[in-house]
Amino acid sequence: MTITLDDLRKKFERVGYICDESTALTVYLALDLGKPLLIEGAPGVGKTEMGKVLAEILETELIRLQCYEGLDETKALYEWNYQRQLLRIQMNRNLEDEQIREEDLFSGDYLLERPLLKAIQAQKPAVLLIDEVDKCDPEFEAFLFEVLSDFQVSIPELGTVRARNIPVVVLTSNNERELSDGLKRRCLYLYLDFPELEKEVAILKAKVPGIADRLAWETARVVAGLRRQQDLRKKPSIAETLDWARALVALNRNRLDGKLVADTLNLFLKTHADQQYFRREIGPEGIDKMLKNPENGGEICRCQ
Amino acid sequence: MPVSIKDKMPQSSESMFEENIAIFVGLLRREGLPVGTTEMIDALNALARIDLANRGEFKAALRSTLVKSYRDQALFSSIFDHYFVPREEHQKRSEEAVAYHQQLKNQINRADSELQFKGESLQLTSGELQQYGSLSEQQRDRLQDFLHKTETGKNVESRFRPLLETVVRSHLRYCRTKKKSMQESSGDGAGQEAGADPGREARSLRETDIEAIRAADMPAVEQLLQKLSRKLAIKILRRRRSGPRSGTLDLRRSMRENMRFGGIIFNLKHKPKRRSKQQILLLCDVSASMKQYSVFVIHFLLGLQEVVRNLSCFSFSDNVENLTPGLKGRSDLQHILDRVIRQSKNWGGGTNLGRSLSEMTRKYPDLANAKTTVIVVSDTKTVSLDQAIKELEKFKDQVRRIIWLNPLPLEYWPDYRSVKEIGELVEMWPCSTIAQLEEVLTGRL
Ligand SMILES: Nc1ncnc2c1ncn2[C@@H]1O[C@H](COP(=O)(O)OP(=O)(O)O)[C@@H](O)[C@H]1O
Ligand SMILES: [Mg+2]
Repeated sequence: MTITLDDLRKKFERVGYICDESTALTVYLALDLGKPLLIEGAPGVGKTEMGKVLAEILETELIRLQCYEGLDETKALYEWNYQRQLLRIQMNRNLEDEQIREEDLFSGDYLLERPLLKAIQAQKPAVLLIDEVDKCDPEFEAFLFEVLSDFQVSIPELGTVRARNIPVVVLTSNNERELSDGLKRRCLYLYLDFPELEKEVAILKAKVPGIADRLAWETARVVAGLRRQQDLRKKPSIAETLDWARALVALNRNRLDGKLVADTLNLFLKTHADQQYFRREIGPEGIDKMLKNPENGGEICRCQ
Repeated sequence: MPVSIKDKMPQSSESMFEENIAIFVGLLRREGLPVGTTEMIDALNALARIDLANRGEFKAALRSTLVKSYRDQALFSSIFDHYFVPREEHQKRSEEAVAYHQQLKNQINRADSELQFKGESLQLTSGELQQYGSLSEQQRDRLQDFLHKTETGKNVESRFRPLLETVVRSHLRYCRTKKKSMQESSGDGAGQEAGADPGREARSLRETDIEAIRAADMPAVEQLLQKLSRKLAIKILRRRRSGPRSGTLDLRRSMRENMRFGGIIFNLKHKPKRRSKQQILLLCDVSASMKQYSVFVIHFLLGLQEVVRNLSCFSFSDNVENLTPGLKGRSDLQHILDRVIRQSKNWGGGTNLGRSLSEMTRKYPDLANAKTTVIVVSDTKTVSLDQAIKELEKFKDQVRRIIWLNPLPLEYWPDYRSVKEIGELVEMWPCSTIAQLEEVLTGRL
């Protein structure tokens, strides 16, 4: 993968992925060193998006492996096409004379390629996005580690399959559990935090067409203030900021006030408990107070 | 095309550079970051690809190659900032150091001229002279006064000199200890001098009582605590690995085995069943005497919670409270801890261990079984010790093992009968410092 750091920065900007210098540098190093990139961070900070935009930037196919509890090799690597095999066996029985051999049945024709196999078989280096790797079982993680170490897999019935091209690998994790040292050792590491105010405004401007400058700043400030509230169960993420801002633009608004924020509450606070917390502890008054005092460091004060 | 550091700098500075990185990696390791050789090679490779003059890039390159966990980010950052001092800062520090030495020299010279007996200097070490220099004016006057009076007294001979020296010396020692204890109680620790070695500071962090640690060092200590409790949990759980995956249908094997039946699957093949998991039960003492250890308890619990799926947690003082429902989800946990552990009415009561145990086992009879490892965090101070011992003996028979972490500083242990008697029943470990907790991990656990 030959791309300069400068190029990469420009392309991030072009595809509307807003990131700081050190993020761009880490991605650049992962590409240049040919190492998988492990991204951790709270939900909604742009981990999955990174995989997607990388495929776009590198003009290549995005192959996505979504992890979940119980994911195994048959879903991630390959599986035999049992229906076809059965059909073949049944057809053969009608022909009577010819004995069917195991090799015939377990050959490439009956192989279903899953994302991992697809990624190493691709004609052009693909971007392999292994999403939410913390959700899979440790056993699967160990298997993944081996695939990412050797970029070859052995299929008992077929032998070893080597990578045609080594894909660009992006792994993401929401830190639901600690990943194994081995896997981490293979990767370069990037921790994405909630964005700084300026960065979030930039994201809003890049992603929400027609948003007024003032609305972008006020939205970002309110969201940043909410994220500082220790008692919220689920802090609003970038995804929520974007949803909210889009709705506000659709409502033809170009500035925020406490009442509007309270009325559109369910767009940025997704749990009932958090919404109640907002009504009880902050309310429109709290927001108005904060919006009026930009000097206050964006602190949302409780209103009693 | 591999680029190496070589291409970027002259021979001699290259090896110095690599050495520098190696020392830095050593510091990270000492803090418990699992930095291996792979990481170090990656780091050097990465550094060959960046603009070394750009401090931000330099830091980001090291961070992404050497630190693989979000928990270690803050720790990395502070060690980096300590170790790779920016040029201007470096300049400033060395100027400060020169000035400081000059000041010391002046102090010593002055002390030497002031502390004389019959026109001759006292035989004091430069350390002692320096110490004299740092005394308050009043204290210095007092010492001089004393010397002067002795000098001018009757029958004073020069053989009095050694005696005088001893007196001055012990007076200085007295002032020193007094000053130190005053500094400690006001939280104004050492380690602030220019160019402090971060490694040395870190080591002392490990040995400081967790409750006496400065606020600025707290994030680092919290991280260490969580890391250690995670390690502890992993160590406990590793003893019996859970078996392979559960009894789902194994289509591949079924197909193979049944080919000979012409596509009719007679014998279904199943994947072997996974054995059931072990569980950890954490009992946190939240009585008044434990309040000062709340930081320890909270971060210990946070660490456990991250790796243990079957974690139950109860707080106890004069009765028990089940915290388990609050353990789901990280944000919930923060919530619960703040509410229950820090602010709860439970903090403050006396401990009744016996009653708490019997109440818990009565209400939650499934909790204690042969797969349960119990971790108790408590200073053992309880009312009705004899009843507590009885309950604990019963409880011990129901569970796999009980590990007792006692945050009471070791030197107080002999003063408590409860420590002795409970300690005979369970595996009790001191944990008032990070270093001690590390010992638990490397110990016979
Ligand atoms: N740095 C960014 N620049 C632009 N959009 C972003 C950025 N980070 C996140 N987003 C937006 O936020 C949304 C959520 O991001 P996503 O990648 O799904 O989060 P997660 O970290 O949970 O995978 C996406 O729709 C994406 O458009
Ligand atoms: Mg995602």
